[in-house]
Amino acid sequence: MESKNNWKAWLYLAPVIILMSVFTFYPLINTIGISFLKNYNYISQSSDGFTFDNYGIVLGIKGITRFGHTTYMKDVIDYAIPNTLIVTFVTVPLSIIISLMISIGLNSIKFFKRIFQTIFFMPYVTNAIAVGMVFTVIFDRNGLFNYLFQFLGTSMGQAWIDMGASREKAMFALCVYIIWHSLPYKILIFLSGLQNIDQQYYDAAKVDSTPKWKVAWRITVPLLSPQILYVMITSFIGAFKEYSSVVGLLGQPGTSSGSKNMYTVVYYIYDTISANNVHYGSAAAVLLFLLILVFTFIQMYVSKKRVHY
Amino acid sequence: MEIKLKNLTKKFPGDPKKNIKDTIAVNDLDIEIKDGELIGLLGPSGCGKSTTLYMIAGLKEPTDGEIWFGDEDVTHLSPEKRGIGLVFQNYALYPHMTIYKNVSFPLTNLLVDGPVIDKLTVRYLDEINILKDPAKIVDVIVNSVDKDKAEEERVIEYHPAIRAIINSFKTTQYIAKDLFKLELHLCENPEEVQNKATQAITVLEGKIEKRKKLFQTFKKDINEKGEITKDGEVVVKKHKLSSDEIDYLVRDASRLVQIDNLLDRKPSELSGGQQQRVAIARALVKKPRVLLLDEPLSNLDARLRIQTREEIKRIQQETKITTIFVTHDQEEALSICDDIVVMNEGVEMQKDHPQEVYRNPHNLFVAKFLGTPPINIFKGVARGNEVYVGDEKILVTSTDLGNRDIYVGIRPEGFLLGNNVEKVLTINIKQIVTMGRDMTLIGSHNDFDGEEIKIIIDSDIPVENGNNKFALRRNKVFLFDSLTNERIYFKD
Repeated sequence: MESKNNWKAWLYLAPVIILMSVFTFYPLINTIGISFLKNYNYISQSSDGFTFDNYGIVLGIKGITRFGHTTYMKDVIDYAIPNTLIVTFVTVPLSIIISLMISIGLNSIKFFKRIFQTIFFMPYVTNAIAVGMVFTVIFDRNGLFNYLFQFLGTSMGQAWIDMGASREKAMFALCVYIIWHSLPYKILIFLSGLQNIDQQYYDAAKVDSTPKWKVAWRITVPLLSPQILYVMITSFIGAFKEYSSVVGLLGQPGTSSGSKNMYTVVYYIYDTISANNVHYGSAAAVLLFLLILVFTFIQMYVSKKRVHY
Repeated sequence: MEIKLKNLTKKFPGDPKKNIKDTIAVNDLDIEIKDGELIGLLGPSGCGKSTTLYMIAGLKEPTDGEIWFGDEDVTHLSPEKRGIGLVFQNYALYPHMTIYKNVSFPLTNLLVDGPVIDKLTVRYLDEINILKDPAKIVDVIVNSVDKDKAEEERVIEYHPAIRAIINSFKTTQYIAKDLFKLELHLCENPEEVQNKATQAITVLEGKIEKRKKLFQTFKKDINEKGEITKDGEVVVKKHKLSSDEIDYLVRDASRLVQIDNLLDRKPSELSGGQQQRVAIARALVKKPRVLLLDEPLSNLDARLRIQTREEIKRIQQETKITTIFVTHDQEEALSICDDIVVMNEGVEMQKDHPQEVYRNPHNLFVAKFLGTPPINIFKGVARGNEVYVGDEKILVTSTDLGNRDIYVGIRPEGFLLGNNVEKVLTINIKQIVTMGRDMTLIGSHNDFDGEEIKIIIDSDIPVENGNNKFALRRNKVFLFDSLTNERIYFKD
């Protein structure tokens, strides 16, 4: 029976498999292949043979010799990787904590719950570039941010993302932007998880005079741990791939103190296409893949003891 | 703790726009529960019994009426201030915590008013006390290791001997660990054991002295009970329980419900009956004034249900705690409760001793609700002192009932056959089912109100299908007014 109907199953799966093969699996394998080719030209598809140098060059260990000069490409090791790590380790934990607090709050209010849920979900359906434009207004020299946070020491005319902004300032604005933009999805996941937690746990806690913070920390968070793990892994991966936010907010990979100092790894990978340096981009992509792989494994390992299904 | 419910009412508001009426879940309920009683709230689902329980617990706010615990009006008190233990229908054990954590959880929030003690001094004092008989410790350790072979396959929190010490001396895990570390069981002869114990006592006494000196530097002292004193008076204030006190209470509660060997497991590793007992332990551990059980047996299989209900009775009798038990299963309520409150549609139908509720139902609902097979209800007519079902005069009453329509309720065991009895009621028997000692007759009658008549009689009596005339046992016949459904006649 089973083997007879097998071809039918394959037939139904065929559209997806064909599309996935053409647009996902083949590029995936091809990327790894290209990362080992010397001077690959993606227009003529020609190369000077097999090499490990691409990795060394991307990481700035090995120089590129042209016309007798040896130059070292430091953009990735100096900017792209550190920026990506900063973005990841700042935005992911913060956005998880903030969205957790918002969802617990949303779940416990009775009135206007629907309205607030809608409001908090808005950014999710808003175009990233449109959000970027709004943020450029907020972080403008004479923008809202400078105006509102004067009591914290900001002053009108201070540049955050405009010409003259330092890397730190731009990074701060970028992180705020990413956190804000990533909240709604997390809130959605957490809210659905919260609604699945049996009310009786809270009644039991109430009878046992448990303080509110303890209910949140000792009951809600552990019972929400599967959702937290899911959100953590997906947003870690998402943050490692951060790129569109830099384009949306800054429109360019750098600030006044360096034309490439706002690079992220994926931004660098895209930039290599225009310079016909796809072999470097491929190498960087493989490195990013390995980085994500390692972090995901670490998370899975750590979470084994902490997640309660 | 005595509990009084006065005119307790709970309305769930409807929506006039959508033409949904208010739902009255509990209507003007007056119940008095004596101290130390196990009372059952019995009724079909939706009769308001759980709502009543949650109002007593404080999880639902009554619309009207009062709840009194002893001399205290707790109607508007929040649940945590009422001192209640609540066992939920599906137990609501925290799945991510071990049983120990689950049971100890209520205690970690508790603020107790009383003398502040020094945890370590009390611990040392208790250890000294136990060490006075070192031979017993050795005995406990040696015997424990052999018994718990099966347990060794599991990774357990600590050595089985430590658990044996905890249980034998009714003490805490901290003390048990300390005592086990003395390695008294490795000594070669009783003299050595005695010497080692004496040495240990000296060391502990020294430690107590050190604690005292430490407190004296803060101008405080510790008395012989381990209580902290200041200027010669015991310090009394609200404080959290120490880990030792918590451990002691957790062990005590777990011994009571017999889960002391499961403390390091997670709820998901336990059977339904075990989870139930954990839930009871969690409710009892903080020594509540009132224990509330919401359908505690409905998630268990038949065999466990009987076992667990006996267990609940035992625990209730041991702790003498006032207990309210909600159930829709009459057998459960009848078998363990001291008193039963039968409820229907938010109204108390009858409150009585279990057997009394069955023997002497005050209205049609109670008569119908209790008893398996259920009572047989006939439509009848009262004419003065005489009661007719169809054309047959079945009963002559001692009081004048007037002329009115009535319901005649006859318990299945209320029918008689034989030679020396006055036969009054003809029933068409359609089926005869013999089950050992008893025989169930299934029959019909034109004035019967229901599907089929069920009669239980002795299986020795010969019965044929078709019309049979039966005599009736007077005390199994109840007459109810057809309008009010109240019982109007019953002869004891």
